[in-house]
Amino acid sequence: MVSTILILISCQSKYPLDKDLTRKNYTFFNQDSVGVIFPDIIKGKVTVIGFIYTNCPDICPMTTHNMYLTQQKLKKNAIENVLFVTVTFDPDRDFPSVLKKFGEIRDIDFTNWVFLWGDKKNTKSLLKRFDITALKTDSTYFDDGELTYSVMHTDRISLIDNESRLKKNYRGSKVNLEELYNDIINLGE
Amino acid sequence: MFNLLAVLLMIFNPGDDMVIKDQWIRPGAEKMATALYFTLENNGSEADTLFAVETDIAKMVQMHETYSNGDVMGMKEIGEIIIEPKSSVKLEPGGKHIMVMKLKRDIEKGDEVEFKLHFKQAGKKIITAAVRD
Repeated sequence: MVSTILILISCQSKYPLDKDLTRKNYTFFNQDSVGVIFPDIIKGKVTVIGFIYTNCPDICPMTTHNMYLTQQKLKKNAIENVLFVTVTFDPDRDFPSVLKKFGEIRDIDFTNWVFLWGDKKNTKSLLKRFDITALKTDSTYFDDGELTYSVMHTDRISLIDNESRLKKNYRGSKVNLEELYNDIINLGE
Repeated sequence: MFNLLAVLLMIFNPGDDMVIKDQWIRPGAEKMATALYFTLENNGSEADTLFAVETDIAKMVQMHETYSNGDVMGMKEIGEIIIEPKSSVKLEPGGKHIMVMKLKRDIEKGDEVEFKLHFKQAGKKIITAAVRD
């Protein structure tokens, strides 16, 4: 009895969250403009999900790079059934083709990594599900009259188990890569 | 005579007091934004100010600083960077950086990109930054 409680406490501290993500469906398009349903695409897979916008010069590339390094390490160690998902919180600019280019220029392997663009309603709803804040801020006009802006946003990578339950959040740009890797491995066991 | 001239140039050319090192830039696709990082080392006896950065590869370049409020991150334009005498300022991920906006072409890992840095004391300095992630 005591050992069971200790095991439960240990699991809880390693994975502090246990949020069912299957209760609502969200329509998105992947980097090839193919329609997909979240959470159907993550069903049965351990999933690492990050939230970005492609005009972010500093934090979001760090988040993406951390996911990239994790993907490469898993690949090197022949760990399968792990999916990487990147969701944009800037649907006005980050269309599927833009997301694809963002991934290509970073040598991302799309075999097990999907970038998602959704309309404002679906995007907002999914962000709320993950408690992500994203607010447009600090706008500037280029000399050709085009408006650009920054987005103030939550710095987040999340880990989801193969039953589509959100288990843990990390600081996307500062995540301890070893911790994330070990958490993925433990969830997959 | 030439030796004397060289010594005089070393003494009176304040530009030599500013050392720019460890410069690199993240990859970025055409029309998107990216960030340039480097370290500014002011070996002089006066403070200096980086007040402008130029490049041919982007529509606009600004000096920015990333800030955080809990786990929410934002950026603000800082306009200039002051480097106190005998000290250095590091532009690095998650901190101060040069925001390179609306790229005119893709810049990929392995490429090199030229920037012109303008200082109040040291004048114009040209650097070449390697593209890496």
